[in-house]
Amino acid sequence: MSYLSISHITKQFGDTVVVDDFNLDVEKGEFVSFLGPSGCGKTTTLRMVAGFEIPTAGRITLDGADITEKAPNQRNVGMIFQSYALFPNMTVAQNIGFGLGVRKEPKEMISQRVEEMISLINLEKHANKYPYQLSGGQQQRVSLARALAIHPQVLLLDEPLSALDAKIRVSLRAEIRAIQKKLGITAIFVTHDQEEALSISDRIVVMNAGLMEQVGTPFEIYNFPQTQFVANFVGSLNTANAEVSDPVKGLVNVNGVQFITASDIKSRKKGDAIRVSVRPERFSFVSEEKKDNVLDCVIENITFLGSVVRIQVRIGEAKFNMDTFNNPFLDLPKIGSKEQVTCSKEAVLVLDE
Amino acid sequence: MRPDPTNPKSENPTVGGAKRPPRLQLGHWLGVLPFFLFSGLFLIGPTLILAYRSLEGSQGGLTFDNYRQLTSNTVMDAYEISIRVSVTTAILGGIIGFLVAWVVSRGGLPPRFRLITTTFSGVAANFAGVPLASAFVFTLGRVGVVTALFKLLGVDLYRTGFSLYSFIGLTLVYLYFQIPLMVLTILPALDGLKREWREAAENLGATPIQYWRQVALPVLTPSILGTMILLFGNSFGAHATAYALTGGLFNLATLLIGQQISGDVLHNPGLGYAVAMGMVIIMAFSIFIYSILQRRSERWLR
Amino acid sequence: MTTSSVSSTVVIKPPATRKRWESWLIFVVVSLYFLIPLGATFYWSLRGEKDVLGFEAYRKLFADTNFLPAFSESIVNAIATIMLSLLIVVPTAYWVTLRLPKLRPVVEFITLLPFVIPGIVLVFGIIRLYSRPPLLLTATYDSSRVLLICVYVALSFPYMFRSVDNGLRAIDVRTLTEAAQSLGANWPAILFKVIFPNLRVALLSGALLTFAIVIGELTIALYMAQHTLGPYMANLTRSKVYEPSAMAIVAFAITWAAMGIIDFVGRGSSRHAQMIDTD
Repeated sequence: MSYLSISHITKQFGDTVVVDDFNLDVEKGEFVSFLGPSGCGKTTTLRMVAGFEIPTAGRITLDGADITEKAPNQRNVGMIFQSYALFPNMTVAQNIGFGLGVRKEPKEMISQRVEEMISLINLEKHANKYPYQLSGGQQQRVSLARALAIHPQVLLLDEPLSALDAKIRVSLRAEIRAIQKKLGITAIFVTHDQEEALSISDRIVVMNAGLMEQVGTPFEIYNFPQTQFVANFVGSLNTANAEVSDPVKGLVNVNGVQFITASDIKSRKKGDAIRVSVRPERFSFVSEEKKDNVLDCVIENITFLGSVVRIQVRIGEAKFNMDTFNNPFLDLPKIGSKEQVTCSKEAVLVLDE
Repeated sequence: MRPDPTNPKSENPTVGGAKRPPRLQLGHWLGVLPFFLFSGLFLIGPTLILAYRSLEGSQGGLTFDNYRQLTSNTVMDAYEISIRVSVTTAILGGIIGFLVAWVVSRGGLPPRFRLITTTFSGVAANFAGVPLASAFVFTLGRVGVVTALFKLLGVDLYRTGFSLYSFIGLTLVYLYFQIPLMVLTILPALDGLKREWREAAENLGATPIQYWRQVALPVLTPSILGTMILLFGNSFGAHATAYALTGGLFNLATLLIGQQISGDVLHNPGLGYAVAMGMVIIMAFSIFIYSILQRRSERWLR
Repeated sequence: MTTSSVSSTVVIKPPATRKRWESWLIFVVVSLYFLIPLGATFYWSLRGEKDVLGFEAYRKLFADTNFLPAFSESIVNAIATIMLSLLIVVPTAYWVTLRLPKLRPVVEFITLLPFVIPGIVLVFGIIRLYSRPPLLLTATYDSSRVLLICVYVALSFPYMFRSVDNGLRAIDVRTLTEAAQSLGANWPAILFKVIFPNLRVALLSGALLTFAIVIGELTIALYMAQHTLGPYMANLTRSKVYEPSAMAIVAFAITWAAMGIIDFVGRGSSRHAQMIDTD
């Protein structure tokens, strides 16, 4: 049996099903993210692991023990909140020592552990400051230290970076990941930010409307999305209406232009209406390399996005974005000029709605 | 120290004449002039004249004689009763008001009870003076409705030593505006208690009692104490209700000043000024403590 | 993905809801303390006639030759106070927010003074300052009345300033002013077409609060020998039996009306004020 096992969890508030038959096994030391839009049930699931909500049905076991109905203060899980939730009347050191204090640990042991934690998060100079004297990033690091001080079996992070500035968000997420790896602690990380989930996790659970859409490594989630929702939510995506023209060969017709796809469409019939999706970065100009699909297009618009240049092309009647890496010697086509773009058949996705 | 060439802020602003000092426009001051004029003429001026007179000796010259005489029996008694009533109503009003605020915000009552309570508190906190005194006379006066009901039950309230026109009575009446004031000022502080704090404490293994003793109460303490001090001042300076209730004859600091205005009951005008200034000093001190505590609590509950 | 063998039909009972009877107990007991005096007063006010319950006490109150003059004088005083106070506080709050932020601590300090100086002390000082030359303002009834209104104005500053200041904060007056300026509006247009309409709720709250405080004010009016509602009510309690109860109920109703309107307009404020102003 795995370390943390969440099996067939359902949560209802009144008549609303917030989490529907959630199943997940997490190995010790693994970093798992719950990714989804707000209201998808990711936070509720996390709160059930913490004990703030009791599931309507299902079981949660941790290291072999059933914790489904255990009170939050009887579990040994650390939680980190979006709003930091530091106690405003206590200094950094007092905040970190709180969990050990309420366990009535000996004083020397507490102060030793607090010191250890403070040096882990590099806030030695701020040990005696109050939360309002710290920046948001520093406060969240204290909150991390406070959760870790009690030697939790699992670390739960509820959108811990959402309230922070973009730059600090990136550096703190690296810091969280490094500390997690160093301590070998099991962690569940809730976020609505796909980039965050992709960069930090061992595995990602994509959720939508209370249901699990897909579970997999960041690589799998991004490159092999199994549903339209996952493909849309993670990364950017071109989607166009199409018609099956040859289910066996994998040919689809997008507004009169023939595409070949590697997705399995054998179960569909000729003439079925479907939708095809292509990620912008999978397109390239024919001049560089020729792939399975070679498509005539007109350049409609060019947008400079920094490291990436986004080119809008019209293929037949359908408009697609293609992304190409920026470099100072990039030879961009003119708007209105006719070009040929290409993409592999694996890049053309036909997904379940 | 050399100026840092990469930092334009370290440049001397007068060099090169790029920046001029801000123009002093009279028009800007016209907008605030009436405010200062009214405050000066009708708040500060009258208080300063009392302060000056209180330091004036009977033979002229500046002296603390009048303040020394504050220890006379009449004055000390008046101050003592005023302070006793204020401390009692501040503590009782504070505790009861806190309980009410707690009950309507977190006690599990339907939300509309909170709305009713805040609206009613707004009314009751401003319902001082003659009508309030009347209402209690009709309730607990010698022929009041509640007094009569007690008589039907065989208890003569006024034989048990109770009187509306005494310390207990005044306390009971003052609570009618003290409790609502506490409710109105403490509710925002209670709302400032974040749910995450309780959850974080629970998550770290704390029992509800540990959470209350180590987090919630310490966080609320500045607000509770501060508001109680506000209540103290509110009661200490109250005149109209006590005047209406007792006809101005009770020995209370505010009523004593009233008597001194009508006729020199202290037989020493200078002492009257000193009594008034003594009140201002006590009020200023309590408002000062209140604002310090309030600032701390705002910092925590932001 | 999942290898769990636990059946999905495990249903957990929701935890029992917490007992709330303590909350109800506190609420009911405190409510009784607040409602019984009102009930008792109302009961007395209905006993103006022998042996029957009726509104005789109210009829007698309104028929009293001194009541209506005192009441109307207090209303006029209150309205004058509100007008004057608005005229002084609105520019002050606006200037302090926009042009002279350095003055803010000073203004805020001054608005604390009415809480520091008890009314009885203030009227003491007023009488000493204005009852002899060169500032003789208490010579006639009317000059005293003007003086009384001026004192009320100063006493209304905390309530007015806080209301207006909150209103100004809520609408981000700096941005609004700059937007209006960039569209070519001049100062009168900015004030009357942009700022005031958006401050309507704040101004109304401050005005009604001032009204509730001034209308039955006793201490200052009493020692300045003014025939307003406060001294009238105090006198009534000494001379009549049933009318004071009717008077107390009327006063309570007035306070309730003022506070109720503040609550009502305050609740819909941000939405309503803007919607009404688009026409």
